Amino acid sequence: MRAIEPWVERPLTEFLGESAARVTLLMTASGQVVAQHGFTRSLDVMSAAALGAGIMAATAELARVMGSRPLDAVVHQGTGLGLYLAAFSTPRGRWIGLVVFGAETSLGLVQLFFARLTQDLERAAPAAEPARQVLAENFEDELNSSLRALFGR
Amino acid sequence: MPLVNFTSREITCKLVFYGPGRCGKTTNLLYIHGRVPEDRRGNMVSLATQSDRTLFFDFLPLELGIISGYTTRFQLYTVPGQVYYNATRRLVLQGADGVVFVADSQARRFDDNLESFRDLQENLLEQGVDIRQLPLVLQYNKQDLPTDLILAPSELDDAFNFRGVPSFPSDALHGSGVFETLKALSSLVLQRLAARPPAP
Repeated sequence: MRAIEPWVERPLTEFLGESAARVTLLMTASGQVVAQHGFTRSLDVMSAAALGAGIMAATAELARVMGSRPLDAVVHQGTGLGLYLAAFSTPRGRWIGLVVFGAETSLGLVQLFFARLTQDLERAAPAAEPARQVLAENFEDELNSSLRALFGR
Repeated sequence: MPLVNFTSREITCKLVFYGPGRCGKTTNLLYIHGRVPEDRRGNMVSLATQSDRTLFFDFLPLELGIISGYTTRFQLYTVPGQVYYNATRRLVLQGADGVVFVADSQARRFDDNLESFRDLQENLLEQGVDIRQLPLVLQYNKQDLPTDLILAPSELDDAFNFRGVPSFPSDALHGSGVFETLKALSSLVLQRLAARPPAP
């Protein structure tokens, strides 16, 4: 498991143990990864997060067009694999969970424990801290050499 | 604002390529995808129609390397350019840390560029983002076409670049100007992050 912020780890570990989900991804509404379990390559995680956020954004927009209240969850059920996507509020803003599950569990269990996960996250979130400096003043030299290396220049 | 992980020291930025239909947004990403080593990029995700027009978005994650001690990643997105898909353009634009506006340099596409540029400003405003505050780079694509068919970069600058943001002539099909565009936008986005650090 990888989590951007340590306080996410415990609720997520409990969710994974109880729901028996195979893959779980927590992301912001714009598709930035917050925590993940089950992926091996970080770059694949980013693609899955972009697609998950896209689905939820399109679902929310569709609901708005239909004059409906926001639809907070989407389920895709295949033969051997199910996919549960749900948006929820946290003290850090709107997040989305993407859960992939197999025959060893059920949609009902995933939904049940996902609801508990969102409550646990709400409780676990620490108070916001003040802004902190990220980049050194001379970061541009490193940026330029990274880009040159990336493009083989 | 870019997502910053202070614990694992990672920065992730969302960069969006915007512009009218068939201006070369996807071509920019395809060139980058083909040029960057496999271990530094993810698979390119394209949600396209059967005729290869972008339906929702193209997506390409890039790993830049370590900058100021932070592993830095860029998520490159394109929007669908056709007027019809404005709703999906708005969605892709959500949370963008920087935008490349790709203009089609052909003189006959001038009005399409103008409409798309206006549409970009409106969609940002709808999300409470003032385009003057967002890192923006202009790219004048298809500059390889015969000169009687296209507008010169200076003419396009006169029409679109009243804010004096970085602008680059390009031929995205062959890669000219693509690197410069990405470099300029990366720099603006990270400069903004350095000036306005996020809360941990």
